[in-house]
Amino acid sequence: MAPNTGAGDNSTVRGAVLQASGVEKSFHRGVPPRRRRIEVLKGAGLEVRRGELVGLVGENGSGKSTLMKIVVGLLERDEGVVERSGKLGYCPQVPLLWEKLTVDEHFELFARAYELEAATASAAESLLGELQFERYRSYRIEELSGGTRQKLNLALALMHEPDLLLLDEPYSGFDWETYLRFWEMSERRRDEGMGILIVSHFLSERERLDRIYELRDGRCVEA
Amino acid sequence: MNAIAISGADFLREHLRARLTLVLLVAIPALFVVASASVLGEFAAALGGSVAGDSASALGAGWAAAFLAGALGFFQVSSSREADRRLALAGMGAARVAVARISASIVLGVLISVVAFLTLLLSTGVTHPAHTFVAILIFALIYIGIGTLVGSFISGALEGSLTVAFIFLFDAFSGPGMSDSGGIAGVMPTRKAADVLIDAGAGMGSPVGDWIAVGLITLGALALAAAAFWLSARPRST
Repeated sequence: MAPNTGAGDNSTVRGAVLQASGVEKSFHRGVPPRRRRIEVLKGAGLEVRRGELVGLVGENGSGKSTLMKIVVGLLERDEGVVERSGKLGYCPQVPLLWEKLTVDEHFELFARAYELEAATASAAESLLGELQFERYRSYRIEELSGGTRQKLNLALALMHEPDLLLLDEPYSGFDWETYLRFWEMSERRRDEGMGILIVSHFLSERERLDRIYELRDGRCVEA
Repeated sequence: MNAIAISGADFLREHLRARLTLVLLVAIPALFVVASASVLGEFAAALGGSVAGDSASALGAGWAAAFLAGALGFFQVSSSREADRRLALAGMGAARVAVARISASIVLGVLISVVAFLTLLLSTGVTHPAHTFVAILIFALIYIGIGTLVGSFISGALEGSLTVAFIFLFDAFSGPGMSDSGGIAGVMPTRKAADVLIDAGAGMGSPVGDWIAVGLITLGALALAAAAFWLSARPRST
């Protein structure tokens, strides 16, 4: 296994929907004299192509979610390059939702953000059915279980059929049936040409993934 | 409806669906206005100020609106920062999220001011309704700016709400009519608004210069609030 610190020249990689290289990130914690700098990413790089299901694994605190947030644009990087192409779908680790709004109101809000207009109803209907939570559509988020929140979290990332789907531990809180359905959905979308990057704690899903990066000592190593 | 209108309506709904917010929306103006005529007068006397009677009640309505608007402004930023950023990234953009948030905040400010005004009307009566309502609304809008500004720098609910409360208390007890102190009290943002509201409570008009000053301060506060919402929702570079 060799450290992968760069994704290479964009022109040489056909069909890449995401390329990140040399990404560095550190955080400052505490106040003087106990202030310290924590280096999380030390030149991480990865690449996702169309029609590819890629895993990003690593120990707790290895920087998986930090790298994901940098790739998405939720966090500033200190150094490095990130290039994305096409529509982006992002499913954060913790559902980022509004507690007092209903499931339907979330779909409507994101449909406007994605500029889906007329396709809203069918996109939402299809995902509600696929993830089997139709009966909760009039429920507020504060009334939902963790697993159902996570279903909505995932559905909002998928509803505009993105070219690049970034999933940060998307199945936490899913029961076994939903977990299996999640993989079926991901594999089907991968076969239709979507590029998917999944962050996970585990290597146990190795056989479902086309490629795996392990985040170790701040760098991505292709496993 | 366009994206800004839908998201603005959703952001407003988010606050109005919280039962405790609705209870406080009625209870805080009642407490401030009913209690303020005597208590504010006593505080003012102890601190070297002179406000009393209907002017104290009117000032109480303004402070009630300010307190509620400051707290709601803070929570508009701090409680939904990450979700707003996700919505901006999804294609809404930070500017449109900020416009929707500031629109919802202004509507909340108007609602709060209406409740505070009605409480004052029912409690002591109002000689100059338009003058009084606008002065109360100015308190609310200025504190929306203060609350959102605090929310953009402090994310913790406890630390942020304590900071808003500290600013509010200092502002309230050092303001005109409440004390004879100069110094920093003279530059607190609601100083002119308090002058205008005390005039309204006493049944007097306010000088044009005071109206221009409060207008400019209010616009500045709303511009700060819009900037705070934008900063909070803006995606980081990719």
